[in-house]
Amino acid sequence: MWTINRYPGFWLLPALLPVILMTVYPIGHALWTSLHEVMILFPGEPFVGLRNYERVMSGSYFGVALRNSLVFTLIAAPSVVIIGTLMALFLQRRFLGSQVVRSVVLLPWVLPGAISAVLWVWVFHPSFGFLNGLMLDLGLISSPIGWLTNPRTALGAVIVAHVWTQIPFAVVLMMAALSAINGEVLEAAVIDARSPFQRFRYIVWPEIKSMVVVLLVYNALTAFTSYDIVYAMTGGGPGTATTLLSFQIWRESFSMYDFGAGSAVAFIVVLISALLIVAITKALPSDLFAGSE
Amino acid sequence: MTGRFNGLATFVFAALILLFSGGPVLLSLYGSLVPDRVLLTEGQSLFTEGPNFETYRYVFTGQLPDSYNMESANRAMISDAARQVPQALVNSSVNALASMVLNLILGAPAAFIFARYAFPGKKVSFLYLILSPLVPAVALVTPIYILMQAMNLVGTPIGIILVHTARALPFTVLILSVFFRKIPAEIFEAALLDHCNRFQTFWRVAVPLALPSIGATGLFAFMLSYSEFMFAMLLSGSSSTRPVSVVMAALARNTDVSWSLLNTAIFIAIVPTLILVVLVWRFVVEGLLSGAVKG
Amino acid sequence: MHVRKLLAATALAGSLAVQPALAQDITLEFVVWNYSLETVQDNVAQFEAENPGIKVNVTDYAWPDYNDSLILRIRGNTPTDVVYGGQDWLPAWGAAGFIAPLDAIAPEGAIEELSQDIAGFALSDVTYNDEVYGLPYYSDTISFIYNKQILEDNGIAVPTTWEEVTAAAEQLKAGGMDKPIIYEYDQELPNFYDAFVAQAYGRGAEMFDDNREPLFADPGNGAFQQLEWLADAWSKDLVQPDPHESTIIPAMNTGNHAFTIVYTYVLAALNDAATQPLAGQFAIAPMPGETHETLGFAKSYVVTASAAADPARAEAAWKFVEFMAGKPYTVAKRWAVEKGLGFGQLPLFEDPDVIDAWGKWADVAALGEQAAIARAGDYTEYSSIWAAYFRPLLAQAMVGETPVADVMEDGARRWSELKEQFANR
Repeated sequence: MWTINRYPGFWLLPALLPVILMTVYPIGHALWTSLHEVMILFPGEPFVGLRNYERVMSGSYFGVALRNSLVFTLIAAPSVVIIGTLMALFLQRRFLGSQVVRSVVLLPWVLPGAISAVLWVWVFHPSFGFLNGLMLDLGLISSPIGWLTNPRTALGAVIVAHVWTQIPFAVVLMMAALSAINGEVLEAAVIDARSPFQRFRYIVWPEIKSMVVVLLVYNALTAFTSYDIVYAMTGGGPGTATTLLSFQIWRESFSMYDFGAGSAVAFIVVLISALLIVAITKALPSDLFAGSE
Repeated sequence: MTGRFNGLATFVFAALILLFSGGPVLLSLYGSLVPDRVLLTEGQSLFTEGPNFETYRYVFTGQLPDSYNMESANRAMISDAARQVPQALVNSSVNALASMVLNLILGAPAAFIFARYAFPGKKVSFLYLILSPLVPAVALVTPIYILMQAMNLVGTPIGIILVHTARALPFTVLILSVFFRKIPAEIFEAALLDHCNRFQTFWRVAVPLALPSIGATGLFAFMLSYSEFMFAMLLSGSSSTRPVSVVMAALARNTDVSWSLLNTAIFIAIVPTLILVVLVWRFVVEGLLSGAVKG
Repeated sequence: MHVRKLLAATALAGSLAVQPALAQDITLEFVVWNYSLETVQDNVAQFEAENPGIKVNVTDYAWPDYNDSLILRIRGNTPTDVVYGGQDWLPAWGAAGFIAPLDAIAPEGAIEELSQDIAGFALSDVTYNDEVYGLPYYSDTISFIYNKQILEDNGIAVPTTWEEVTAAAEQLKAGGMDKPIIYEYDQELPNFYDAFVAQAYGRGAEMFDDNREPLFADPGNGAFQQLEWLADAWSKDLVQPDPHESTIIPAMNTGNHAFTIVYTYVLAALNDAATQPLAGQFAIAPMPGETHETLGFAKSYVVTASAAADPARAEAAWKFVEFMAGKPYTVAKRWAVEKGLGFGQLPLFEDPDVIDAWGKWADVAALGEQAAIARAGDYTEYSSIWAAYFRPLLAQAMVGETPVADVMEDGARRWSELKEQFANR
């Protein structure tokens, strides 16, 4: 690492300025809103301190929405990274049709959440769903399973759809990270006749660890803050089985016209996301953040 | 590695991946080729009735599927929004390409500096970049909309491109800096000995070596923009500048959109990825697999 | 030089148009939700042809995000003149000062005259504080829809009470139908609450008294009983939830369900002979219950306060609203004939073209009877806020997460709280 004595604005500002433009005022505005009573049907926007935060946390939905969001994130984010890594390891190999498989893996990437939801509704739908049709034809079940309509399976079903949309990015990044591993080291390891697991543990893992952290952080954030697929598939139900915390930001602001409460939920989400990120970086120490000293 | 992996295991893994990643997409292709009355009737399928391209014909030419010519049919009971899909595809591709190019041009130099240099203010800048995406986009909708309105960018592609670029940039910088850090230090030291200045080191050494990874990162920025819905909806004005995610959301909810018409639109919307897969992805993957970065 | 060119250009433009162009063209910003945009734009083009000097720019948003997008436009000061309004939002928009009463922009007496043709529930939906804020774009009811063929094949009479619906569903379930009732359910869409109110109306229930005090927490109230019915049907595995009518249409067309409760216009899609395999098998029955009343509602053309404040824009906006919803009801008729949308303008019920078109997918007489006994919902400034609070509660009671009595009490408490809050505004 070389040292520069002046701040390299020429190199950094082109990236920083757009981000600053889209964050400083908006985040400041949102923070201000969370500390004021901003209800568009009422005149005036008086300062209320942390009252919005108290209100949303004592609301009836908060506990169940937080629990669902945490379960959703804790299952979805690691699943994406693990499945993505396994697929990337596999796709490094060349075999007949490997190019086709590599291409197909990318397909889910392009679809907006609401549209991915349409496809997965079709897979899971109890009346005309593909999965039930298949299982009925094979004689595995005698009556359709309500994947999305049974409170016990709904959250799992929406997690599958969410993971599906996030896999391509994970695969691409992991393949890129894997390709950076020095080939000679890998070959030496093969000659050492270590088991594939040991090879992964001692040769591959240290090289891809920082990318795994990046991916985990990115996916934890995405899973904790996205709701479009879930709401298009289940409408938050059945009952409150798939009600998510991130959706409450939208709900408080735009359905209840209470922008103060909506922003308060947003900053609670920020706090929890930050905790998740700290937990990830503590659990998997890498040079990623140390490198910024 | 190859020795232990027999052909059967390879086949099984490949099949599982194809089934999971490609299955739903294949389902949508199937759905686009059979009318609802075939799809929903037991005992009828693509294989008994043959493929039907009338919904594709409708999307591209506006000519109604033949079933609408029946005496009892209501000829207006079909959503014209489906006909916006081709134009929307172009609009989205333009937005996404612009966002991708901007992300790489603006993000790569910053990533390079973060990866290879120590300088005053580094930690603050880096933390600001990686912490800014923490605030959920939903909470920023109002202020960003007000900001865009103040800059008179509501209803223009520029507004959408700007928002999409800014939302992808922190990740672009983060990911690219990981790649730049992977390049062995000796290569840069050699460049230094050749009297390369900082820009030349970046442009002639770092960028070519990281090209496949840059391609992968660019793909990320492209896809993020292409599939984003909320800002795309709020900032797009008329139907002539509307991105595909917005058109698709309308199609998914309107009652005058049959299941096969919806799936036709979905499958058409996937086409740009197919093209990207052929062009960029092969370049990226082949680059990655041939080991361009290996020391 | 410049001035002369400009004059020449103006003269040319003037000679091309039948009427000389106004000194300055006005562009109205018209905001809609995305339904059949091509029809909307065609209507707009016809209006522009008849009204030189007025241009109309259409912006559309997806239906689930429409209200939110509109609020953003108003908070962001995006120029907005005429918008689609919904019955549940209209009082709040009026209270917030987003929209203007039509009397402020229309010639004297015009609104009163047009109001006489509008169905009672539709007129109630466009009225806030005794002033008319909108004219109907379309107006519809919620219907109990059943599959004629399935009932016939199983020898089941069309149910007239909710108890008979349960009995019929149990009989069908015993015969192998997994979930005879498919039920539209999304915590976030008004559809879910509207359908519930319609069912309660079928029992003759009132949700609120004349002072807007909630009545539904009383176990004797029809709404209370209906929620118990729903929870009971759910616990017997008779009900399949589905987040949206767009998937209920194919689901009903598989023949795996016999009953549903949705907006009446869905019937046109269910019975669409061009696409649906079971088209023709679906019919509406009077809403089960003692009185068979149902919920009627109107979506409307509404003018913003900012447009009303500028005399030139106000004049243009009125011309536009009158073209879209005024006599001779050409546009409303077009929606009815082409898309099967209901209407608030009663004379259209006697229009031969409407009767002919609707005959393809519905029993027009039955529809007319239903519209005649349809009732408006109770909408006030805070009702959409309250409904957003109440919908998840309804959902919890429906699936048995929370007892019906708790949900109803919670809902009533929240209503009273909001009422008081707004009284002290």
